[in-house]
This record gives sequence, C-alpha cells and structure tokens, in this order.
Amino acid sequence: MVSIIWMFIDDNDDDFKVYQRKFRQLEIENEEKKLIAELEAVKDERVGYEEKLTGAQTSFKAKQSQLLDAESLLVESQAKFYKANMNFLNQKSILDAEKFNYETAMLHLHEGDDPAEIEQTYQVVIDKVYTLRLIKEEKEAVMLAIEDQIKEIKFETKIAEDELNSVLKAANLVDRKLKLIDRRKMSLANKIGDIVRDLPILDFMAPYFKVEQVVLPNIKYNVNFASVPEVDRCKSCHLGIDNPDYKNAEQPFTTHPNLDLYLTSSSKHTYEDFGCTSCHAGRGRGTDFTSVTHTPSSPEQRAEWEEKYGWHEMHHWLKPMLPVNYTEASCFKCHQDEANITHADKLTMGLTLIEKNGCNGCHTIKPLESRRKAGPDLARINEKVDRKWVAKWIKDPKSFRHNTRMPSFFGQSNNSEPDDIKRNDTEIYTIAEYLFQDGEKMSRKNDRKYLGNAEKGQEIFDVVGCRGCHIIEPDPNNLPEDHNLTNLLKEHGPNLINLGSKTSAQWVYDWLKDPNEYWHDTRMPNLRLSDEEAKNLTAYLMSFTNPEFEEAESIQMSDEALDKIALGWLRKMYPEMEAKSRLGKMDLDNKIDYVADKSIRYYGCFGCHNIPGYEKDKPIGTELTFEGSKPINKLDFGYIHDLEKTNYAWFTQKLENPRIFDKGKASPPEDKLRMPNFNFSPEEIEALVTTILSFSEDEVGENLLASNYVRDDMVYEGRKLIKEYNCQGCHIIDGFGGQIAENYSSPEYAPPNLNTEGAKVQPDWLFNFFLEPSIIRPNLQVRMPTFKLTDEEWNAIIRSFQYYDNQPLAFESDFHVNTSTTKYRAGKKLEELGACNNCHFYGKEFPKQGAQTWAPNLALTKERLQPKWVIDWMEDPQSIMPGTKMPAPFLPDKELLNTPGAVSDWGEHVVKVGGDRETMLEGLRDYIYSIKGKTDITNEIQQYFEKNGYEFEFDEEDEDEDW
Amino acid sequence: MSYIKNLFDFLSAPTISFTLLTVAFPFIFPPSDWFDKKNKQWGIYKLWTNKGAFWIFMSITFFFVIGYFDPYFNLTMTKPDNIPIILMIYSMIFVVWLGMKQAYINDARLDRGEKPEEWNDPDDKVLVWPDLVYIELIALILFMVLLIVWSILIGAPLEEPANPAATPNPSKAPWYFLGLQEMLVYFDPWIAGIIFPIFIIVGMMAIPYMDINKKGEGYYSFKERRVGFFIFMYGWFVLWVFLIVVGTFFRGPNWNFFGPFEWWDPHKVVPLSNVNLSEYVWVKLLNKGLPTSILAREAVGFVTVIGYLFVMPLLLAKTKLKSLFEHYGPVRYSTLMLFGLTMFALPIKMYLRWLFNLKYIIAIPEWFFNI
Repeated sequence: MVSIIWMFIDDNDDDFKVYQRKFRQLEIENEEKKLIAELEAVKDERVGYEEKLTGAQTSFKAKQSQLLDAESLLVESQAKFYKANMNFLNQKSILDAEKFNYETAMLHLHEGDDPAEIEQTYQVVIDKVYTLRLIKEEKEAVMLAIEDQIKEIKFETKIAEDELNSVLKAANLVDRKLKLIDRRKMSLANKIGDIVRDLPILDFMAPYFKVEQVVLPNIKYNVNFASVPEVDRCKSCHLGIDNPDYKNAEQPFTTHPNLDLYLTSSSKHTYEDFGCTSCHAGRGRGTDFTSVTHTPSSPEQRAEWEEKYGWHEMHHWLKPMLPVNYTEASCFKCHQDEANITHADKLTMGLTLIEKNGCNGCHTIKPLESRRKAGPDLARINEKVDRKWVAKWIKDPKSFRHNTRMPSFFGQSNNSEPDDIKRNDTEIYTIAEYLFQDGEKMSRKNDRKYLGNAEKGQEIFDVVGCRGCHIIEPDPNNLPEDHNLTNLLKEHGPNLINLGSKTSAQWVYDWLKDPNEYWHDTRMPNLRLSDEEAKNLTAYLMSFTNPEFEEAESIQMSDEALDKIALGWLRKMYPEMEAKSRLGKMDLDNKIDYVADKSIRYYGCFGCHNIPGYEKDKPIGTELTFEGSKPINKLDFGYIHDLEKTNYAWFTQKLENPRIFDKGKASPPEDKLRMPNFNFSPEEIEALVTTILSFSEDEVGENLLASNYVRDDMVYEGRKLIKEYNCQGCHIIDGFGGQIAENYSSPEYAPPNLNTEGAKVQPDWLFNFFLEPSIIRPNLQVRMPTFKLTDEEWNAIIRSFQYYDNQPLAFESDFHVNTSTTKYRAGKKLEELGACNNCHFYGKEFPKQGAQTWAPNLALTKERLQPKWVIDWMEDPQSIMPGTKMPAPFLPDKELLNTPGAVSDWGEHVVKVGGDRETMLEGLRDYIYSIKGKTDITNEIQQYFEKNGYEFEFDEEDEDEDW
Repeated sequence: MSYIKNLFDFLSAPTISFTLLTVAFPFIFPPSDWFDKKNKQWGIYKLWTNKGAFWIFMSITFFFVIGYFDPYFNLTMTKPDNIPIILMIYSMIFVVWLGMKQAYINDARLDRGEKPEEWNDPDDKVLVWPDLVYIELIALILFMVLLIVWSILIGAPLEEPANPAATPNPSKAPWYFLGLQEMLVYFDPWIAGIIFPIFIIVGMMAIPYMDINKKGEGYYSFKERRVGFFIFMYGWFVLWVFLIVVGTFFRGPNWNFFGPFEWWDPHKVVPLSNVNLSEYVWVKLLNKGLPTSILAREAVGFVTVIGYLFVMPLLLAKTKLKSLFEHYGPVRYSTLMLFGLTMFALPIKMYLRWLFNLKYIIAIPEWFFNI
C-alpha cells in the first residue's frame, strides 16, 4: 500500500508536471493581460451596442406573455406533427416494401395472377401514404407558423446580441480560453471535472497535465536493426516554445527565437514534420532535465546545471543534444546539395572551408565529395618556381605567405626534435627532387621584356576585377579580423604577395594572358588583358618580394636520415633481413626516389595537388562521412586527460593542434599523426566542428529533403559552380557577395547585381555572353572575364538563375513589336520626352551626356532582355538593383492628361492611353525593342576610353538628373 | 418439388422457425412431468434410438440434397465459409443424440433401480499412458490429415483486400460470431457485443456453482437435472447454434431474411419502421409530444427493465419459485435469475420486435444508452 501511494506521489511530481503547473499560472496571467487589453480596445465601441441590447431586452420582456402562449401552442403542435410524421413514415416504409413486391409480382407473373388485382393492392397502399402525407404536411405548416412567430418575438434581441458579440469577438475568445485554464472562472461542475481529470489513475483518460508529444514518421532513429520514428516530448516542458507571447518568459517556457523559420504551421519547418530533436538532437522521449540529454554550452553552464538540476551526462545515449553553437549542424541532413545554406552561415562557412582547404581531398566525405583539388596543379611546377623555393615552401609555407591555405606539415608539436627535423628535411628534399625530375625550367633571364609600368599595373589590379578573388596584403595585421563568408570571397585566390621572390615575370605574364595554358583546369579566368596591360600588371605583381625567405638556408638532405627513412618503410613491408638487403641494393637515386614516393604517399600531397604518377591514389585520411555520429570511444584522446569527453571538444582540439593526441606517445615516425596544421582561427574551427557534426547517420524521410523540392539537378549544380568560380566575389547573387564593390567609388561602377537575372535576360543571349563577353555597361572598368567552362556547366548556371526567378523556359518565341499601335506611339513619345539617349547607347550612337552616366546599349535590348522583365525594371529600378542610377520614367497620370494643353505637352497618343501606367510602360518597352543599331559596341567603347581615359571616375557625381 | 421448397422457405422464416423450435423444445427436452407425459405419449423419445438417428440423419441429408440441386441454395451451401456450418449441424446433432441416447438408457436403468451403465464399466476407463495418449495421437494425426485434405480440396475463402469504400453486401462476421451478429439486429452493440458475450462466458463459468445437484455426476442422465438441461439446451441450441445457422444460410443482402431456396435479391425491401416504447406510450397512447426530460420520457422503459430484471425475481421468490429460492439461497438465486433472465431477454426482445415493431425499451441515444 505504502509503495503504491509512493508511486502515485512520485508520478505526480514528474518534472514536466511541475513545469506545466507553473506554465498554467503564467498562461493565466498572460491571458488575463490580453483580456484586459482586448476589452480596453473595444471599450467605447461596445457601449452603444450594449445599450441597444438593453433596449431590445426591455421590449422583449413586454411580449413575455405572448411568447408563453406561443410556446405552449408550439409544444402542442409539435406533438401533433410528431405523431403524424411517425404514421406517415411508417406507412412509407410499408410502401417501399410493397413497391418491391409489386415489381417482382409484375415481372414474374404466375398462372392465375391478375395484374389488375396486383396493381390495385399496390395502389391502395399508395393512396394511404398520400393521405397520411397530407395530414403530416398540414400539421407541419401549423408548427412552422408558430415557430416563425416565436422567432419574430425574439428577433430584435438576437440581432442586438449578435452585434455585441461580433464587437467582443476577440475578447470572448480570450475569455473562453481563460475559462478553460483558470479554475476561478470555471463553473462548479467544470471545477470538479478539472480536479478529477488529474487525479491518480483517473488521469489516464483526459488529463490536463500530460506529456505533449509529436511522432515524426519521417525522422528515424536508428536502433541497429530497425529504424524507429522519433518521438519528441520536448513541448511537455517547453510549453511556450511556439507562442510568440512568451518571448521574455523564463526557461523552459521561452518562445523559440525564430518562429518565422521553425515550428509554426506557416514556417518551412513545421513542428508536426520536424519536431525538435531533428535539429537539436537529444533524447526526444525523455521528460526530465537530465534524461533528455540537455548539453551545456560552456563549463560554467555545466557547473550551474549540476547544482541547479542535478544534471549529469547520460553516457549511454549516443546522440546528446547539440550545444547551441553547433545546432546548425542539423541543417545539413536535409540541405545537403545546396551550395550556400541560407540562415546557416556557420555551416555554410564550414562547408566552404572544407572545399577551400581541401579537407575532402584527404578525407572522403560522401555528401561533400571534392569537386576539384584544392591546391594548384604541380605537373609543370618546374616552369613556375625553382627547386630550392619548393623545398623551403614545403617546410614552412607561412614564412613565405603569411595567410596561405597550404597547411604546415613540419615544425609541429610531434616533429620538432632535432632528429625529426633531420628526417623531415630529407623527406622534403626528396619530394622536391621528385617534382623536378625534368630539371628546372624557370628562368628570370627574359624578365625585362615582360615588365611594364608597375604603377599602372596597380591601377589595373584595383579596377579590372582581380580584387574579386585576390588580395595583396603583405602585412598579416591588416587582414580582416572577421572570419566570415564575405571575407572568404576576397581570398578565393591566393594573397598575391612576394611573386618577385617566387617566379619569373615571363611566367606571370603568360599566366595572365592565358591561365588555362599552364593549368588546364584552373579556375582563374581570362580577363582579356592587352599585352601592355598584362605587362603593367606583371610589373606590379613582381614588385612584391620576400628577402627573408630568399635568404633562408636551403633544405639539405642527410644520407644517414635517407637510409633510415628508407629502411623504416622497407621494414613495414619485408622481414628485417630482406629489408636490409633490399636497401643495400639501392643506389642514391633509387633511395631518393623510394623515399620521395613514400613521403608523398605518407603526407598525401596528392589530396590537394595534381602530381603526375599519383592521379589514382586513394585519399589518405579517415573517412568523415558519418564522423558526427562516430561513438566517442572511437576517438583517440591519447594521454590528453583534461579535455571534455565530447566529440566536438575532440574535433576542436584536433583542428587547433592536429598532432596533440600524439603527446606522450612513443610512436615510430611512420605511425605518427600527420594531419597538417591549417592555423584556423577559433571562428573557423567552430564552423568546421559544426560541419563535421553535421556528417551524421541520421535518416530523414525523402519528403523532408530540401533537394526534393527542386525538380532539376542542374539548379544545385549551377549554384555550386557559382560558388566554385567565386562569381559572388564580384556579383551579388541570392543577396550575397559583390564585395569587390568596396574598391570603387560607387556601386554604379562595380559589377552588376544579378538579382532577378533569371527573369531578366534571355537564356541564349546569356549563354553566348558567357562564351564571349562583350561590354554591356560602357562605363565600367571592371571586366567580365572569360571562364573556361563546359557547355554543361554554363547550362547549369543559366538554369539555376532561371529556377530561382521562376523562369522555366529554355526556348522562347521572339518578341514582335507592332509599330502601328497607339501604345507604341505613346511609348515613342515618352522615350523622346524621357531622353533615354542622354545615358543609353543606341547602337553606335553615343549618349548625349558624359561617360560617367553611360548606360547599356538599347539596341541590344531585344536580344538580351526578357520583355516582361523590362516592364518590371522600368516600373521600379531601385527594387531590382538597389543603388542604380536608372530613374523610373516619369509617366503622366490621368489627372495630368486632363489638363488643358496636355496634347501639346504629351502628344495625342499618350493622352489617348489615358494615364494607364502599364500600357505606357508596354509602349515604352515596345519602342525600345524596335531600336535598331549595332548590338556589340565593345570596340567603339574601347576606342573611346583608349583616347580619353577613365578619368571621369574621380569626378564629383552629378546627382540631379531630371527627365 | 417447388411446393416442398416453398414450404421450407415459409417455415424457415425466423418468426416461424424460431417459434416452432421454441414450442417444440420442451417436448423434446421435457422440463416437467406434463411435457414428459406428452413426450412419451407422442413417442418423441424415439428420436434417441438408432432408428431415430437414422431418420434425423436422413431428413437433414434430404434437406441438403435438395439444397445442393437448388440453384440458389447451392450458392450459399457450397461456399467454403459455410461448409463448417454443415459439418457443425451434423456433429452437434450427433453428439446430442449420442448423449441423449446414453442418458435415456441410464434413466431406464435408474428407474429399474439399477446403477448407471458407467458404474462398473471397465471399458470406460483407460490408462493415460500409453492407451489414452495413443488414442489422442492417432486422433491428432487423423485430424491433421482431415485438415490438410480439406485445405487442398477447398481453397481458403480469401477475398479481395478490404476496402472501406466497397464493403460486401451482406457483410458477415466469421461463422462463430454469426450468433452475435444476429443478436445485433435486436440489441444495441453495447449489449449484444459486450454485455451478452461477457454474460455468456461468466454465466457458463458460474454453472457449476449454481447447479449443485450431485446426481448425474460421472454418467449420462436426463431425468436427474431436466430443468437445467432444458435451459442450457435452449440457450445453446436455439439462442446460439440456431442463430448461427440463420446468420449463415438465411441472411442475405441488406441483412434481409431469405428462405433457403429463395434468390438473394439485393432489391428486396422489408418495412423497417421500428418504434420505441416511449413513442408508443407518449405519442400513440397519450397523444402527446415526447417530454423534453429524458428521464420522464423513458420512465416506462426504466420501470419495465427494472421490473423485469429485479422486481420480478423478488416476487417470484415469494410466490412461484419459493422453493427454489429456499433451496438456492439469496446469492445463488439472484445470480441465476440475473443470468437466466438476461438470456431469456433475447427471445423476448425478438418477439417484441416481430410482433410490435418495438425498437428500444429504453431509448436514450443522447447517452448512447439503448436497451
């Protein structure tokens, strides 16, 4: 008995019930506040309606006796009708049966049956029913008449009541809710019911305090041999999570910070489909603080929780809740194929860093397979640099370029002993030897021929577009402090310092003129520089040198170390005696080759670089496809004991110092940890850890995958290419990018914003433009470079632009203009009044105003732009391209066109259109589409600037341009 | 032949067949001296002889043979679902016949002052091991052979996947629940589907505690517990087995009743305008509307039900069944009455329906409470 009572008490005091009681109090307070507010809002309005109701009630009372009479009459008539109706229905059912009998009898007439007699029997029943029906209807009419009478008596009151209620609707709703939760407002019966429903045992039926759960059939939890749907009970305590009223309530009742994106039925991630643990992880079925595996975000919070909630880790639950700073990891489950995941900057940053630093070159990550090697092609390295430079660079790349992505393999915590250094130097030496098998071909002999004016070169570097992907920053202290996605765009290519200490002017010149010649797959585009421009730029780039690096001692090999390394590797494959005898048979060259091969394989250089002979080698790192789900005991903490035993702490530590878990270990050199040090900043590490945590085994239902809502694979591929080629370094795409604009006096002179690009241009024009860019915006110095992409890749990019602007068609019929319509003529007049040719080219015809306001060639419009988009553009240019100088054309309204003299001001056709904006815009558009002239005016513009220069750019801008 | 078939069709109408069975039952299993006298007088006891068995067997077989060659009954009879019912009819009758035959032999011996046959019968006692186990093993094997052959010859009656949008007409329960389904025609689901099955099970468990007659233990006998025998056989044979047979063979589309040789015409319409007791009283009798108060409306029904179930046993205990009451004591008596009266409520309700189109005695659809 005692144990049973104890059980009830214990059950009654479940954590969640305590919270629910507290929340109920909170809810009552909140609803009361709301009620007061609602009543306040209708305070004045309701008075009139209440008076009306009182009046109606008074007159209703006067008719009371009349009503009573009518009601007693009604009861009587209802009784009569009921009986008549019953008789009628009874007879009708008999008729139905009789009908069947009649039909069958007539159908199968037997001998001696008289059809007339059968008919007669049937008819008798029909008549009976008819009589009864008449009686019934008569009684019904009487009853209905009395009902109407009563309704009329009550009518006035009812109308007044309805009116008052419609005013009080919002308040009534709140009041009703209050009556459900506030015991003080309940009727006695409800009060008893409210107490009884939560009593022990009885609470199995319909308790108020109960586990709130949601079953998520599309989100599975893997229990080895079966996949079980997740069940989330988080709402049992987080009661205000989807209610915006509790933004300032204390935990666990606080509202979710982003209801637009999560939980609510209008958001993309509804509670019913996604629950809580699909993003936050943790044990959704738990109902107390510890058992749901809450995870503290910091040691302080851990200590606080331990004290306040008796919190401890649940060792047997493999997927504890993610600390808040890593929650974005879960986005990846459904958003795998997206190039940039919106609202998940940290995760996107991590994914970007993985690509840029080539993590997936060494570590296989199935959902994020390496699209290209992160480092340059080394097949022709001997044309670019010399052997000495290579060896020094491998040993310590940061000493040459402080922020290079090439990670440091040497001088790390597990290989800095003198013996290690000797060994490493030998390894480096042999690797350099391997890369220079064909001898050194780089020479600075002819450099003078390729060096122009460095000052002009700097100017070109600043404006022509290099800064879309590159920086030149010799001083590490001047680098941007924030490590974010925007700054990553700037450092898409290397920081171009110290080229003078690295390579020859000839190589730089050749590279600038045609990057794909040296490295077929490079992402570096061709900017179509003239010879002179290229020389100037070369001179500028070569002007940066690193004397310290040049003077550093070159790397030497030690024969003793060479033998030792070779023997070490041989021992791994052969018995001791054979290893030694094999070593004995090698000459020096053999040994160097052997050690070079082993070292390249050991360090996995081919993970990031194309090295001839290693094209098909497998990546050397641990596979990370499910790293986020890897059990903690599979992570080697070594002798590091003061580290928190969590996977994210381990990942963080590994990224901070990749060799740390070798500390205290006496591993032979071949077994040492070898992941290089990328010198990531803390922000980058957090982003990377988030991303590693996102590589999980969790299964998500097909219909939740974001990619299933994009019908075309090319869309994501296009977005990936846009990211891969850093288009957002220059252009704003999806509201992100365009950082190159910082280098120009106004966004007007930076590469265009590609907002609405898919709806804007005709796909076939865009395709041709990509292949052979021409000048669209005559006053830009920055150039659209020529990228060497395949047709498939261009199609994917075009398709993805179209997709995001709801433009599904690849082929469209030409837009024909009828030049005889009023609309067209009105458009022509508007064009004339608007003076479009002040800024716009009309084929070879130059604009009337100066170069600083030049705008695209209108003769190109019919080939380039979508007719519908042109209307949208003219309607409101600022909404499509914020900051544009294009003004919306002034269109007269109806009133203006009705004033005297309108015909002379606006012309008869505009007046005829009568102020209809859309028609006028269509007319203007039609006129623009009929402008004839040369479409590609690249040469004309180039000639102009060759003669006059770009000086205008530094002019004070003239903002008052009126139509 | 068609005359015979029409006769069968006519006789098998539930009103007639049920009435005939009910009337004939006390003569076949006489619960009192008077019936016993008539039984002897008309020679009904001869049913329980070999000759009687022969005639019973012949007449049932005759019925099924006609049925087999009848185009309509053949359809029902040869359905794989219904074959167990035919076997059941034979086996039930055979077992009852066998029991009754032994009982009559013993009754005659007891009348002569002799001991029953089983008293000193060495043949009736066998050793469990090995004899009984052997017999059981052989029976088991034979039974398995039978089931295997059966399943080979007659495929399992599988139908298309269930589809709530296209239910079969008629929708029949498995054969062993057809008795319950038949009850559903007369009672609300909570009674026919819940109360009655529970009462049947509990009631059968209670039989040994209510019938404490020591006589007739361990041997066949009819005379020594003829009332109990009659009640049980009526409940078992008429209210359960017979209803299964009706449900199987005589219920067609729309759960309408069809004679065995009748075509199951889905268009058949039978007037179903059932009236509640309260409507009879208030509307038809008193010419008033139904009272708004539920309790007032159903007062007559409540009085009837309470009177039948609780007051009547009390009165009977003072009068007609005084001796029974004294013999049984209050607990046993009231239990017997509760189960017995509930059982007899079924035929009573059936007749009320047939005779007066009575729908419910207490009708409170507002509370889902209808009796």
